[in-house]
Amino acid sequence: MTKNIRKREARKGLLISSTYLVYAAIFWGYPFVWLVILAFSRWRYVGSPRFAGFRNFLRVLYDPIFWKAFFNVLNFLMYYIPIVLIFSLLFALALSKIKYGKTFVALSFLVANISSGVAYSIMFSKLFAENGPLNQIIYKLFNTTIPWFTSPQLAMFSISLIVVWKFIGYYGLILYAGIISIPNNIYEAAELDGANKYVKFFKITLPLLNPSIVMVLVFAISLSFGIFTEPYMITGGGPMRSTLMPMMVMYTSAFQKLDPTYAATMSIFTAIFSFVIIWITRKLLEREVDIV
Amino acid sequence: MKKIRVIIFHIIMFSLSLLWLYPYIWLFMSSLKPSNEIYTRFWPTHFTLEHFKFILESAKKMQRPFIRAFFNSLFISLTVTISVVLTSAIISYALAKLRFRGRDKIFDFLIFQMVFPGFMFTIPLYILIRNLGLLNTYSALILPSLMSGWGIFMLTQSYRSTPNDYIEAAKMDGATDLWIIFKIMMPLNKSALSIISLFTFIGIWDNFMWPLIVMKDYNKMPLSVLLASFNHEYGAYIGPILAGSVIQTIPMVILFLIFRKYFLQGISITLK
Repeated sequence: MTKNIRKREARKGLLISSTYLVYAAIFWGYPFVWLVILAFSRWRYVGSPRFAGFRNFLRVLYDPIFWKAFFNVLNFLMYYIPIVLIFSLLFALALSKIKYGKTFVALSFLVANISSGVAYSIMFSKLFAENGPLNQIIYKLFNTTIPWFTSPQLAMFSISLIVVWKFIGYYGLILYAGIISIPNNIYEAAELDGANKYVKFFKITLPLLNPSIVMVLVFAISLSFGIFTEPYMITGGGPMRSTLMPMMVMYTSAFQKLDPTYAATMSIFTAIFSFVIIWITRKLLEREVDIV
Repeated sequence: MKKIRVIIFHIIMFSLSLLWLYPYIWLFMSSLKPSNEIYTRFWPTHFTLEHFKFILESAKKMQRPFIRAFFNSLFISLTVTISVVLTSAIISYALAKLRFRGRDKIFDFLIFQMVFPGFMFTIPLYILIRNLGLLNTYSALILPSLMSGWGIFMLTQSYRSTPNDYIEAAKMDGATDLWIIFKIMMPLNKSALSIISLFTFIGIWDNFMWPLIVMKDYNKMPLSVLLASFNHEYGAYIGPILAGSVIQTIPMVILFLIFRKYFLQGISITLK
């Protein structure tokens, strides 16, 4: 009797979850197989793919445009990571200290996070425009204007500022959740030992916050490698390819140059690079944390 | 002395909040200003709806049917969200509460799937949609997102913490599995479900690269792609473009304000 029920339960469970397995086989497994096929073939959407060995991989290795895009990501990370990390940490600390209107402050920062990619790119491209409101204020104050998106040196910096605007609220809240989970008695014990607030911050808060900080870093790095909408909408990759990102190179070669095999190989490279950088980050920064 | 410092601190935080809201406020104000005041004044001499009128009426003649695009986006996002919620609710039940062989393997597979960034699948998925003959159809935008491994994963985690006693009691009363799912599991895991539906809706509404690739038909475009194409070709119409951006942004802001409680919870839940 019980054996029968258990058998029926097992059959039901398998039946229900196999709907997902079938779905995943079609919309995840099939593309996955195609990804591998594409990487090793030559094909331009017509006929059947022809085996090409490692030709696509070699092409990516020797493609200056791909490497330009890769270094642009590093350039983006160089601006984005320190700015977003420091400011979301400050935001999280402020949020843990604030007494009145905490919800209002948290929501004001968080509402930036749900802004729609296309709409917010348009919004900032007008706000930062050559004769836009921001430059007019700067002109009035300093009698000069800043070429936010038209100078190759500045364009990536401006885009990272925009992404910072979007993500400080989200990352800040992750860090805030980490801060409030640190038990108060640790601070009290430290105070008895005569620790001042800097010692408390650097010896207690920062080390115990390590898991949250590493998580924010992982989020930020994987975001950077997949970024598309902002540079596509605001600069189109220019000026002088300074904001060209791997996703844009991939998009143009797959759908404008009609070279899907090459584009698929680039996406594999991009994914590997993002894995490697995330792995290095974790290796360097991740610490075991025990709150007793 | 300490009191003054607290006051200054609060003033700084409130001004920063306003600074963070400023881009939104500027966008909203600008969509209501006469064209020649967009860049010159913050507070306009008078408010006007001409930009909204333009984008909703005249843009149609430029092959940019904004009202239609709005409803396209709404249709696609709602269909996907409802489907993801229902499939996650049912499949997670099997993974969390039914015992069968291979259950843990399936759960491991969900985690394994999440390791791969979505962009790796863009091109092969395009080939699949093309082979199925679905380019330029709503299906191309809906089918690839009908089920969500992430949604199933999140909800399974949440279901696991629901005590089995409720289910046993319901079974004693002769409840079917569907009844248990809809009347017990879903209400008890409301916050996880809200987060899944909210994030799914926003993700689909905001999706840009995928519809840009598979949808060339202006009548079936979601709002994000239509707005981008309008901005691309009629960049000089700043007022209407900003009005279009407001239309694209407002549903999300409203959803955010309604479900703000779940948003804050969601961030702490995704941490676990």
